[in-house]
Amino acid sequence: MENKLMVKLVVGTEAMFFLALIMAYIYFSLLPGFTSRQADHLDIRSTAIFSAFLFSSSFTFWRAETNFKKGKMTRLKGWLLLTLALGLVFLVGQGTEYARLLKENVSISSSLFGTSFFTLTGFHGLHVLVGLVVISIVTTLTFMGDYDRSSSSVFGTVGIYWHFVDIVWLFVFSIVYVLPHLHKITT
Amino acid sequence: MSDINFIPEPEEPIPSLSVSNNQGILQWISSVDHKQIGIMYLWLSVLFLVIAGIEILLVRLQLAIPNNHFLAPEVYNQLFTMHGTTMIFFVAMPAIFGFTTYLVPLMIGANDMAFPRLNAFSFWTTFFGGSLLYFSFLAGGAPDAGWFNYAPLNEYNYSSSPGIDYYCSGLLFAGIGTLTASVNFIVTILHYRVLPMSLKQLPLFVWMILINSFLVLAAFPSLNAALAMLLLDRQLHAHFFSAAGGGSAILWQHLFWLFGHPEVYIVILPIFGIFSEVFPVFSRKPIFGYGMVVGSGVAIALLAFGVWIHHMFATGLGNTVNSFFAASSLLIGIPTGVKIFNWLATMHGGAIRFSVSMLFAIAFLIEFTIGGLSGISFAIVPIDWQLTDTYYVVAHLHFVFIGGTLFGLLSGLFYWFPKMSGRLPDPRLSKWFFWLFVAGFNITFLVQHALGAMGMPRRVYTYPDLPGWGILNLISTIGAFLMAGSVGLLVFILVRAIKKGAVASPDAWDANTLEWTTSSPPGLKNFDRVIPVKSTRPFRDYKRPEDADWNRPEGARKHEGKYIPQNNPHGK
Amino acid sequence: MPDLFLLNISASSIFDAASPEAASIRQLTFEFIIAASAVLLLVVILTSYITVKYRSKHRHEDPKQITGNRALEIWMVSVPLALVILFLFRSLATMNAILPDRGNHTPDIIITGHQWFWEASYPGTTVTTANEIHLPTGKRILMLLNAADVIHDWWVPALGPKMDMIPGMNNYLWLTINQPGIYDGACSEFCGQQHAWMRIRVIAQLQPDYERWLSEQTTNTHIPQDTMAKAGAILFLESTCSSCHRLKGTAAAGITGPDLTHFGSRQTMLTGMMANDSGNVARWLSDPQAVKPGAHMPRFIFAKDSIRALTAYLEQLK
Ligand code: HEA
Ligand code: HEA
Ligand code: HEC
Ligand code: CUA
Ligand SMILES: [Cu+2]
Repeated sequence: MENKLMVKLVVGTEAMFFLALIMAYIYFSLLPGFTSRQADHLDIRSTAIFSAFLFSSSFTFWRAETNFKKGKMTRLKGWLLLTLALGLVFLVGQGTEYARLLKENVSISSSLFGTSFFTLTGFHGLHVLVGLVVISIVTTLTFMGDYDRSSSSVFGTVGIYWHFVDIVWLFVFSIVYVLPHLHKITT
Repeated sequence: MSDINFIPEPEEPIPSLSVSNNQGILQWISSVDHKQIGIMYLWLSVLFLVIAGIEILLVRLQLAIPNNHFLAPEVYNQLFTMHGTTMIFFVAMPAIFGFTTYLVPLMIGANDMAFPRLNAFSFWTTFFGGSLLYFSFLAGGAPDAGWFNYAPLNEYNYSSSPGIDYYCSGLLFAGIGTLTASVNFIVTILHYRVLPMSLKQLPLFVWMILINSFLVLAAFPSLNAALAMLLLDRQLHAHFFSAAGGGSAILWQHLFWLFGHPEVYIVILPIFGIFSEVFPVFSRKPIFGYGMVVGSGVAIALLAFGVWIHHMFATGLGNTVNSFFAASSLLIGIPTGVKIFNWLATMHGGAIRFSVSMLFAIAFLIEFTIGGLSGISFAIVPIDWQLTDTYYVVAHLHFVFIGGTLFGLLSGLFYWFPKMSGRLPDPRLSKWFFWLFVAGFNITFLVQHALGAMGMPRRVYTYPDLPGWGILNLISTIGAFLMAGSVGLLVFILVRAIKKGAVASPDAWDANTLEWTTSSPPGLKNFDRVIPVKSTRPFRDYKRPEDADWNRPEGARKHEGKYIPQNNPHGK
Repeated sequence: MPDLFLLNISASSIFDAASPEAASIRQLTFEFIIAASAVLLLVVILTSYITVKYRSKHRHEDPKQITGNRALEIWMVSVPLALVILFLFRSLATMNAILPDRGNHTPDIIITGHQWFWEASYPGTTVTTANEIHLPTGKRILMLLNAADVIHDWWVPALGPKMDMIPGMNNYLWLTINQPGIYDGACSEFCGQQHAWMRIRVIAQLQPDYERWLSEQTTNTHIPQDTMAKAGAILFLESTCSSCHRLKGTAAAGITGPDLTHFGSRQTMLTGMMANDSGNVARWLSDPQAVKPGAHMPRFIFAKDSIRALTAYLEQLK
């Protein structure tokens, strides 16, 4: 119980942190020249694909949780590994996007767009990374048999965090990619 | 009677307060006991009070006469920046967290915090943050852009020494410590109360901490985000705050004050909690309007997020924006006034005992009202257009910080010191300290209202010899040295009381709450058994069963059927 | 440091209002002081009365245990609320009177804050000057305020509200000066090392005097007459001075330092730090960092007579 409450509070304060970053992003995106640069450099299609991987990792983790509650340990292990793989694909996807942008000379210091884009997505990526590290620890422990038959709250708490990271990406993706894309289509 | 034994506990026994040879400093460093961590927070705060105080004494010396050459401008700027930053983040905050860590488990009948190791982590991160900030002096210069560190002055182009990088990283560490501590407080308060204690029977101090911790969780992320962005600007040449790179100087102000205003209430709400314990005990009456005190605390916390622009009235945001924030800032005076009148009504009809703790509480009523009213004068926008960024602001902030926060901390210190140490401070010397401190404080800061109105801006390392300026500044400097003397006396009083003070009884003040039911100082395990909790004053009920709160007709009506079952701390 | 040059300054506290803007703020301030004194007095009287009357006499007898009183609680909220509403309306009215919408007025003067000097230019004319700001009396003027580097703030207490000067932003202020005179003020936002010496000097003149001054300022820099000053002029243009300072009508067109076209006609130098006389100018030129540490003017290693020549030249730039 208290572990869950703790993670909920941490997630709440992290949400405020992202709110501040997102607000800064929106603030700058209203300045002239920003949106066109954004639309020029971002490729919504490839990002949508690796985003889908992240979103489905939420689903797989949820499956892991339910299987743990039912005590189905083999399935639990499978879903955990799948979650790790999906998260990893997302990070690799983000990595290649960064590499492409840097090749096009868009960096954190090149323009206001670069500054706000890399900061917002970078902090999110960092959170994904932290989540993956935690999940891999939990997975290792599961394989070592630490959670057999115990009523641990660890999957519930890690789940809260992992779903949160996904939800943040939902917002970031909509604001950074989808909205300017729609804007481009309509104008 | 209910037994409690479910709290994780440290292994080693750690009974008393002093760092003496038979315990060893290692034992303190490795401790996860909430009482020891609380005391370490308090000592950290005293240490930084002396450091930040000495910094500002140098500043006051420089300002003692016009056109003075005692300090070079770049040194002056580092000193006042470090003074403000230290006082807020490493004096006020650790002191409040020290009391909280020490008292919350005791007041709710628990044996430790919910997460003792996280508790130690919070303290040491704060400690590390402070050390990092001060390391800047050795690393090529302390931060020098003021405690609110406005852009673009904080950018590499205008402040190329590493001071501001240390400001960012030091405050980030301290901020993380603050956030984790607040999470810990909330979980402890919501999950570790002794079984029959409902939220409506929480001691008011605990209530204010609960509210305050949510305030911290909502406010600090904004600062952390701003600091992270600034570090990116300075280290990786991002463009958040530099107008030259297309960024926005005003964005820093929004992010900073979105944190900064709630922050000043973060350092006053717990103080309101302390006074809500002190006034009833030394008046021998229950608090007047328990519900109103809690409710106004919630109101202040909510309003705190709607007023940040009152620090930016002169930035040209327009009359519409300014009016909205003028209204919210004026409104915040009402719940605060409610509390002042509640405390007055608590004393009314009571039997007042003038302990040093109570003296500070009484003095607070007047000094804080002065500070609050000068705050209201800023909320009247045209007056702020004249007085912002002058010594009048310096006067306001010290009247609320010292007349509010510091008086509250001192009141709390004299109230709980016997509990923490098992000793009584010398009453005669303590009263001397009180009068010296209050006199020094008023001498230092009352005149600054006038200086501001006469046109003296703040943060100036020197000033021309205009009529009246010299003499008023000199008076202020003299007052500052009086305060320094009294702070020295306080340290002496405390050290002497710990060494050879008179032994205090477990219930030194005939108090009302649970922390006084255990020994002084409490053993490693706070409680073996906890007395029944049926009202907000369980210990008084226990001592005066014939006059118990829950037993009185109106008391019974108030508390009947409101025992919300507490969550089982074991999970299911 | 000699402060004689300050003697003819009009006192500049917020109560010495010399403009309708400042006067209406002063009026509001007086109303506030009265209300605040009443509240403070109430708290002081209640506190003293209660502490004296109810000090403990009998150690062990508890007084009556009262936990609340609805009626009193309602009073606690409603009286402050009434005061708050009153002052909110007063303050809105004053704000709108002092700082009405700018509409499509063009500014009468543009002031730019620099670390650590003021640059002033007068739209519609070719006049630019620095530090001593001349303004006409009896006329409602619109000021445009901005900054070249960090945030500064315009504040002359006797003339009314202050306004931040923010890089990348234009802020506006309305101002009507009642009386001719010299009004003292200061930069009121911390702007770095020499924020203390960024004082303001407003010289308010009757309309005809002001116009005369303005037309004088439109002229180019004087051509030096005596040999000493001539030598100074050559030095000025040949050393790097010209890359930072402007002398209208010459090749010197720098903008990172104050405009020096009519420097000799200014009473003070370095934003009110000292009187403008040849001794101070020479001291400044021989080691700026010793006079105003941190100022963005480097030290040049000049021979004694070079300094004398430069000083002579600068002092006759009336
Ligand atoms: C403990 C800290 C603390 C507290 C409690 C307050 C309380 C208040 N503050 Fe203050 N404030 C600071 C700390 C604090 N402040 C600091 C540090 C700064 C400067 C930061 C910097 O620039 O460095 C600052 C600056 C500051 C400004 C910006 C000034 C400027 O730079 O231009 C403003 C503007 O509105 C303001 C307003 C208020 C108001 C309205 C309150 C109110 O909460 C006060 C409420 C209390 C009362 C009003 C008194 C009791 C009430 C009654 C007796 C009832 C009757 C009252 C009425 C009818 C109204 N404060
Ligand atoms: C909790 C907050 C707090 C506290 C308690 C204080 C305490 C004091 N402050 Fe501070 N102050 C701030 C918060 C605080 N201040 C802030 C936020 C600013 C704004 C900074 C900025 O603009 O960025 C500020 C700015 C500020 C200024 C304005 C500087 C400027 O604008 O240029 C001045 C000037 O007088 C001042 C004075 C004082 C004095 C005299 C004390 C005194 O009360 C201090 C008394 C304490 C001591 C003097 C301790 C010394 C003790 C000893 C020497 C004892 C001997 C030692 C042993 C026994 C070991 N303060
Ligand atoms: C790198 C830029 C730079 C150069 C080169 C420079 N100055 Fe300056 N000068 C400044 C700045 C900036 C100030 C304003 C200093 C302040 O008040 O903080 C100033 C101020 C002055 C003032 C005082 C102006 C006033 O209104 O108070 C004089 C006179 C002056 N400079 C003369 C000179 C001369 C003569 C030279 C050449 C020998 C020179 N300067 C070269 C930047 C420069
Ligand atoms: Cu310019 Cu302070
Ligand atoms: Cu505020």
